[in-house]
Amino acid sequence: MALGYALVAPIVVIMLVVIAYPLLNAVWTSLRDQRLIGSDSDFVAFETYAKVVGDPSFWAALRRSGLWLIGNMAVQTVLAFGAALLMQRRGWWARSARVWVMLPWVVPTVAVTIIWQWMLNSSYGVVYKAFEAVGIDLGSPFGNPVWALPVIILVNSWHWFPLTAVVVYGALATVPGEVIEAATIDGANAWQTFWAVTFPLLQPVLFAVALVGSLWSFNILDTIFLITEGGPADATTTLPVYVYNTAFSAFRASEAAAASVLTVIVLGIAALLFVRFARPKEL
Amino acid sequence: MSALTTPGRAVRAIPRVVVMALLTLVVLGPIYWITISSFKPRSELISTSPTLLPREWTLENFERLFATTKYPLFLSNSFVVAIGTTVVTLVVSIAAAYGLDRLRVPGAGKISGVVLLSYMIPGTLLIVPLYVTLAQLGLIDSHAGLVLVNVAFTAPFCTWLLRGFILAIPIEIDEAAALDGAGPLRTMFQIVLPLLLPGVATVAVYSFVFSWTEFVFASQFIMSDGLDTLPVGLKAIIGQYTVDWGLVTSATLFTLLPTVLLFLAVGRFFVGGLIAGATK
Repeated sequence: MALGYALVAPIVVIMLVVIAYPLLNAVWTSLRDQRLIGSDSDFVAFETYAKVVGDPSFWAALRRSGLWLIGNMAVQTVLAFGAALLMQRRGWWARSARVWVMLPWVVPTVAVTIIWQWMLNSSYGVVYKAFEAVGIDLGSPFGNPVWALPVIILVNSWHWFPLTAVVVYGALATVPGEVIEAATIDGANAWQTFWAVTFPLLQPVLFAVALVGSLWSFNILDTIFLITEGGPADATTTLPVYVYNTAFSAFRASEAAAASVLTVIVLGIAALLFVRFARPKEL
Repeated sequence: MSALTTPGRAVRAIPRVVVMALLTLVVLGPIYWITISSFKPRSELISTSPTLLPREWTLENFERLFATTKYPLFLSNSFVVAIGTTVVTLVVSIAAAYGLDRLRVPGAGKISGVVLLSYMIPGTLLIVPLYVTLAQLGLIDSHAGLVLVNVAFTAPFCTWLLRGFILAIPIEIDEAAALDGAGPLRTMFQIVLPLLLPGVATVAVYSFVFSWTEFVFASQFIMSDGLDTLPVGLKAIIGQYTVDWGLVTSATLFTLLPTVLLFLAVGRFFVGGLIAGATK
């Protein structure tokens, strides 16, 4: 038993030092009126929270985060399911896809953002030129307030969908072939079989993937920051970008901390509701 | 091959083949494009009608990358941080998974909750207080500090992933070893660890890729140019000049090459391990 505690101790210590202690620090900062990080400040209780809640750009950022989350989950689910269903088949394509489909995930985020900016470049970009050839002018998507967020969602989905695809593929492999066969013999078509047999069997895995994937997506900063830094005109300022800019550009440390604490609370409630209502019956 | 002989089936396969082709294009196209772009001379890179292959192959972009930027230094920094993160993650998460699931330290069932909780916290939120903490520990502007931070984010997920593998090893094996007089430490190293290898490989690849691609913490907690990792260095190469696409494309290729090669070598095991760990 003593050995057991000794083995678990390192991870506990690291998480206390790197996550729990700074988190408490952030909560403490959120109750003060600090501006420049580390500067002198006074205790103001919930005054900073009132300021953040009264800031329309906080709500705008929350709304964009909602769109970001829904967009990412929708695009990634479609890509991941499509890929997983095809990877399951026989043949050289499926066999090789099981490895190369993961490649977008191992490409560093900075490289991902450069590759797509290069391909969408309105003077030399191959994707831009391809669309131009069929008569569609993409303009400069990252400089357009309407298109910037959707296009970054697509770029981010390209980077992250492989992880979901592989997990779904693994889950599909656990569905017994006999069950599918039985459904087919009973006259169900592929679509009916998928919804009536495969989908329910996949539910526990999908539940976990949706929960972890949503939290993961919500907190993404780097993809957005590296491409637009939240612009143009705040069009891509989701909550993490809002927090970052508030702390490091506007030098309002306490407001950034308060906004983050509110983010954690919102995510916590959303996750609890999701667990409460979407958890598969048998778990 | 019956698909080729029966016209009906062949026709029905068309949508599937189209989707396969599209998926291949979407996944591999960008990687292909950055690769061949970096072999194009400047005149072709800024041509308004890009070609699928360089008309004239050149290595000048790579020569400039190595001669005029600190790429080699960034590369070795990235290796130090990624290998450091991988080794520490392995030690910490194997120890934790073994302690929780084999030596029955209370709390094993709570791991998923803790993993979830650590994803709920925006990394952005931690930048400022973490900076202060690292400064207090004397770990700011050092690779050791960066490794510590990376491990805090890889280890919980890896411990959770390893659980599935440990639970799959029958406890009777441990009991037999104990009967033969092996202590718990010896059982762990000589009996359980070798059976855990697929899980260990998965966790190693995950933490290596995580720290290789990590940008936010590396850009905030490292101040000296000489200590920067590749993602941060790559960002600086773009920012330095009016975009020099030859340099940017070659630097991008050389930033993604190490993880892509690693993955092509061991990816099969990683995919298998991720599936085994996540679906259990």
